Amino acid sequence: MTDVSAASRSSDAPRGKGAEATLTPPHVPVVPVPPVAGGAPVAASASAPPPAPVDPRVAEMAELKRLLLDAERARLDANEARLEANLLTPENLADRLPEAIVLRASQDKQLARALAPTVEAAIGESVRRKPGEFADAIFPVLGPAIRKAIAETMAELVGSINRAMQHSFSARGLSWRIESWRTGVPYAQVVIKHALVYRVEQVFLVHRETGLLLAQAHPPHLQVPDADLVSGMLTAIRDFVGDSFSGEKEVGGLRTFSVGELTVMVEQGPRAVLAAVVRGQAPESYVRRVQETIEGVHAQFASALNEFEGDTSAFESVQPLLEDCLVTVLETDPPAGKKVNTTPYVIAVAAVVVLLIAWMMWQSTRWSRVITQLRATPGIVVTEAQRGWRTHSVRGLRDPDAPQPNAIFVAAGYDSVRVEQQWEPYLSLQPTLVLKRVARRLGAPQPGTPSYVLRGDTLVVVGALDAVWLARVARRVTWPAGVASVDLRAAQPVMPAALASPADSLVSGRVLFPAGTSQLDDAAYAVIRGAARQARKLASALGADGVSATLTLTGRADATGTDSTNASLSRERADRVRRALEAQLREGAKTPAVRYDPKGVGTAEPLPASDSTARARMNRSVSFDVRLTIDAPSGARPQ
Amino acid sequence: MIQKKVCMVGVFGTGKTSLVQQYVHTKFTDKYHSTVGVKIDRKVVSVDGTDVTLVLWDLAGRDPQQDVGASYLKGSHGVIYVGDGTRRETVTDLDDLLRVATAAAGPVPSVTAINKIDLTEQWALTPEDYQALVKRGALFRTSAKTGEGVEEMFLQLARFLIVPKAGA
Repeated sequence: MTDVSAASRSSDAPRGKGAEATLTPPHVPVVPVPPVAGGAPVAASASAPPPAPVDPRVAEMAELKRLLLDAERARLDANEARLEANLLTPENLADRLPEAIVLRASQDKQLARALAPTVEAAIGESVRRKPGEFADAIFPVLGPAIRKAIAETMAELVGSINRAMQHSFSARGLSWRIESWRTGVPYAQVVIKHALVYRVEQVFLVHRETGLLLAQAHPPHLQVPDADLVSGMLTAIRDFVGDSFSGEKEVGGLRTFSVGELTVMVEQGPRAVLAAVVRGQAPESYVRRVQETIEGVHAQFASALNEFEGDTSAFESVQPLLEDCLVTVLETDPPAGKKVNTTPYVIAVAAVVVLLIAWMMWQSTRWSRVITQLRATPGIVVTEAQRGWRTHSVRGLRDPDAPQPNAIFVAAGYDSVRVEQQWEPYLSLQPTLVLKRVARRLGAPQPGTPSYVLRGDTLVVVGALDAVWLARVARRVTWPAGVASVDLRAAQPVMPAALASPADSLVSGRVLFPAGTSQLDDAAYAVIRGAARQARKLASALGADGVSATLTLTGRADATGTDSTNASLSRERADRVRRALEAQLREGAKTPAVRYDPKGVGTAEPLPASDSTARARMNRSVSFDVRLTIDAPSGARPQ
Repeated sequence: MIQKKVCMVGVFGTGKTSLVQQYVHTKFTDKYHSTVGVKIDRKVVSVDGTDVTLVLWDLAGRDPQQDVGASYLKGSHGVIYVGDGTRRETVTDLDDLLRVATAAAGPVPSVTAINKIDLTEQWALTPEDYQALVKRGALFRTSAKTGEGVEEMFLQLARFLIVPKAGA
């Protein structure tokens, strides 16, 4: 419009100055017309020299222009009059300014651009001069803005601290275990709660046109809403969104929406829509996966999708495709550079475990060893053995003569308080136990140390032993268990200790004779009387205990004379002493039961002496000895 | 499993939601809740031994002049038109709704439910109205409150939806 009027104005310009004057405002130069527009000079040169316009077409054109110009000129005249009447005074401007600003601002941004430097300068000036007032003015805006910024920063900070905490705890998994144990929530869920990056909780394949559910998949054990209804609502939402933003419908419709922590990603194909319900933040790669899946479904089920009339059985085999979309991603990897060196912990734990196992094995071995030792001990029968964590218990049978089990436990290093023992008494027939029992029951002879041997159930007693003790053994009627009879043939009776002094006196006495005779002189009789006293003592003491004493009288001769003379002389001497001794013993109140064994050895067993004279004197003698025999008990077995 | 999308169409307050509630959940409330957008429910019904899942799109009630929600109707296998027997205009308006729904969903099987027959003293339909309705096809007089006719109405539609399939 403006272009057209400008062109017409410039083409008309040379035709008449009057028209020009009325047209042009006073301040515009009148001649020559500046070549402002491209077309203007051409038009001007074409019509500039009018020599004699005789061309009727030109005349017509001029006429047409005149007609048009007249109308315009009248309008311009009116405008000029109005301009003169409404000179631009401040009052006029003040009246019109708001209106003008609104008008211009609604057209383009020129006004804002023009005002911006001024406004900026004004604000700067205002801040410099009265900062307090300016702060008060913008406070209502600034406060919330700052709070919002701080809140967002803090949320971000807390988030990063949380993640850092999670990562830096090397025992993170352990703490999750404890949490799981404490709250009763399954461990996997605790891990997901803490470390979930994203999890696809449900995938729907929805028929696009009807909104009916073709198939759906979700992880097992996960509670999901009714898929049919969700599918319907999803379609309804898509329809609603599509209707509301109809322009966007052609370029994909509803793609994503969020509900709480869930994001629903919708990928649509020509016939079906795939929707994945994602908890957390799924990466871009997952979006591509969903896209590929919906493409795959269309490729594989094209005819089934086209012919779908409500029967979903054709889509049963789509299930694996959907299940491939069920993804759970956890932040299982610790952040780089923060990897905790776990080797020392592993070694420590392994060492503890090894030590524990070794200790337990050692305990077990020690126990079985001590029990084996107990079982091997004669007189101990273990019927029950239990090893506990701290206290142990043993039951069984024990012969009173068996070793103390407690001593065995203590020797093996057990605290006897920790081992509860229960032993029932019994009699063992094991030889060692039988012999122990025998030794305990028979007591110890004086003098002598008996040796016992068990031959079957016959007890053989060996050794040079107290004759009185032997006599008592021989008379014994009851025997400890395991022994039926006794054999004393290997036992040699010896003088009991109680009778040692009379026996010594008797044996140390010697009846001496003058050379070549067997006559007894006074000194000889004195010796014989002494010997008789001792013999009486012995015989009476021994006889009461069942031991018989035999007095051995050994006659000797000195080296002079023949052997035969000496032999008969020595025998004669022994006989004479025997008769005198017998007479002496018979004189008492009670004649003791003593046997005599006189014999003459001649010079065969000479008594030693320092010189020949003393030797000759000493060997003209009769010396005494006592031999003991055990009387066979009346009615006893012959031994 | 066979699924069918069924839309409930009718003017405000004719009882579309109540019919679905009665049919699916066997419950009724006197309170009026205006449906916004669409509510979706589901019921499995057995037709001559075949199980059919009816996915019921309970559309918001509309003025007959308004577009009934062409997007929602698209792809429907069946339509249930619901009128209110105590408000005659809701029944006569069904003609307009029928046109709009047919344009969106195509000539799919449908049944018509004249609801609220429990309110006999307020009944507003004349015998001529019935004549007109019967010409349109399957007609049921229902009460979402007492449940009368509800089951039969849905079952009849399910039969309609199954028959073409069996024939094909």
